[in-house]
Amino acid sequence: MLRTVKPKNARSKRALEAREPKEVEDVKTAIFIRGTHTGERINNVMKELMALKRPDAISFSKKNEIRPFEDSTSLDFWSKKNDASLFVIGQSSKKRPDNLVFARTFDHQVLDMCEVGVTSFTGMNEFKTPKSTPGHRPLMHFASELFDTHHRFIQLKSLLLDFFNGEVIDAIFLAGLEHVISVTLSPTPASLTTTSALTDEEDLSILPTVHIRTYTVRLLASGARTPRAELTPMGPFLDLRLRRYQAADPEMLKQAMKRPKLKKQDIEKGLGKKRKNVEVDEMGDVRGRVHLGKQDLGKLQVRKMKGLKEGGDELRKRRKALDVSGDSDAE
Amino acid sequence: MDVSAIIDASTSKYKSVEVEKDIPVEIDAGLLTVTDINPIDEDLYKEDREAYLQELARDGIQLLLGSIFSLPTQSSSDGPLALLPPATTLLPRAKPLPKPKPPTKWERFAAAKGIQHKVRDKKVWDEEKQEWVNRWGMRGKNKDVEEQWIHELPDNAPDDHNPAQAARQERKARIAKNERQHLGNVARAQSSDERSKRKVELERDLATTRISTASMGKFDKKLEGEPKLRGVKRKFDANEKSAKDERQDSLAILSKLDGSGAKKSKQGASGSDDVLNVRKAIRFASRGRGGVALGKDALRGGAGKSSRGGGGRGKRGGRK
Repeated sequence: MLRTVKPKNARSKRALEAREPKEVEDVKTAIFIRGTHTGERINNVMKELMALKRPDAISFSKKNEIRPFEDSTSLDFWSKKNDASLFVIGQSSKKRPDNLVFARTFDHQVLDMCEVGVTSFTGMNEFKTPKSTPGHRPLMHFASELFDTHHRFIQLKSLLLDFFNGEVIDAIFLAGLEHVISVTLSPTPASLTTTSALTDEEDLSILPTVHIRTYTVRLLASGARTPRAELTPMGPFLDLRLRRYQAADPEMLKQAMKRPKLKKQDIEKGLGKKRKNVEVDEMGDVRGRVHLGKQDLGKLQVRKMKGLKEGGDELRKRRKALDVSGDSDAE
Repeated sequence: MDVSAIIDASTSKYKSVEVEKDIPVEIDAGLLTVTDINPIDEDLYKEDREAYLQELARDGIQLLLGSIFSLPTQSSSDGPLALLPPATTLLPRAKPLPKPKPPTKWERFAAAKGIQHKVRDKKVWDEEKQEWVNRWGMRGKNKDVEEQWIHELPDNAPDDHNPAQAARQERKARIAKNERQHLGNVARAQSSDERSKRKVELERDLATTRISTASMGKFDKKLEGEPKLRGVKRKFDANEKSAKDERQDSLAILSKLDGSGAKKSKQGASGSDDVLNVRKAIRFASRGRGGVALGKDALRGGAGKSSRGGGGRGKRGGRK
């Protein structure tokens, strides 16, 4: 457990504040960890995956004795220490050759993990083709019906999406669309289409191979608004077999899936709760209507006239009487 | 003039951007992702795997590009920016949602009075220097009075009055007051959270157990540094009160002594297996005043209806 530190100066305070939970999160950082033994293939795979993930990647160059499925405390610690929430752990053993574990965390606790074995690998250098710029967003392509039906592949898709493309952005440069990461499964075996829902403990050997391919995309004029896409192999090319996995704890996943409430701006636009008598006009000013109660017209001040004076009737009578007496005198 | 030839020529110059799929693909433009749930063709896969995978990816990306390029755009200095819709695929967050900060005392007051938050500039215009200076801090404007080289002395000032020092003390007092208020806000924020509420609860329970021995805690072994228990001070009613209140209190005591109302109904509720909870029903019908009051109302007949408004008061009287 890390000590909770109180910042001593403004710079460290800013750094700590940057790590606090945010409503809209930054891109997830990935840590690449080597196990006790990694073969040449796993080393290269990790290097190339890191090249794709750059600049949001941290490499742990030393070997670590780590078994994520048995004890995940190290991952929790590294996650907190480095403010990272994705892990790629490479290890090669006799039982599981060329093993790769994708793990992600929520609140610095391991949420879910998926273990794959690399069966074949072709690096970037073997394709003498243009490469993508680090830091550009890839286009993602998933192909197979299992990405919609099979829980293992749903998890894999979610993990890979999170890994390469998880950041929420509201706009993108169309000229910056440079490369494609395509994840395709080999043809679905018949046994999986019929009994996948029934068998819980499935045989790993019947699960189809996962082909991860990366291409650069060229946008050609097509005579229409949408350009025509042409793909060129870029590398790395990976073939993976699924091995062990750890599904997300439902309670933890529920917490992780919570979305922020609608923003004030959206509420004013009328997306959220209805606000009575308040509206935003075209100029962006908030206008409200206020109820002022019923007006008492009895107290209304109108034009002052002699005839409308209070007690006017009696005065008039008296004056009339005076006038009559005066007249008689004159006669 | 026949334009079909020209159209044909233009279409042949460009390759098609149309893609045919049996099942329409799922496009999530917010995450720049396309998911093609059509089954993989086994023959083509076996024949030439890489070419097939690339062709499959190209078709999917073509459809994705179609939807991205049809999004509304914004022009910028580096080229057009496509405005992406919110993502439809939900991905788990890395950290929990930020907790809302408890409002400070001023913020609560401002909200109640409808006072808008105003951002105050850090700099103010200095007429003498003819430049922008800090409102506070290094060479701040708030230190002008104490740093000026000549001071006006009030007529009634004592002999040892130091105007510069007085101004400085006033400023320091303002800072101290702000600090005090800040600490108050922090303390209030802490006391409202779940942990400290639980702490208060635990302390109350502990206090109860300490006086729950036969000697009410008098002969128990004391731990070192154990705080002394502070009981609740008794409060007495005023010696003089209105006749109406006194009458109500006396009636409440009498109804307790009578013992017919509450106890009986309690037994009725626990003893019988009826679906109807009689005690609750009486409480509801009498608006919390008990069966006696209900009986009185029934005796008075129509008067019961008119006295409904006084139900709340009667309840309070009954508990005294």
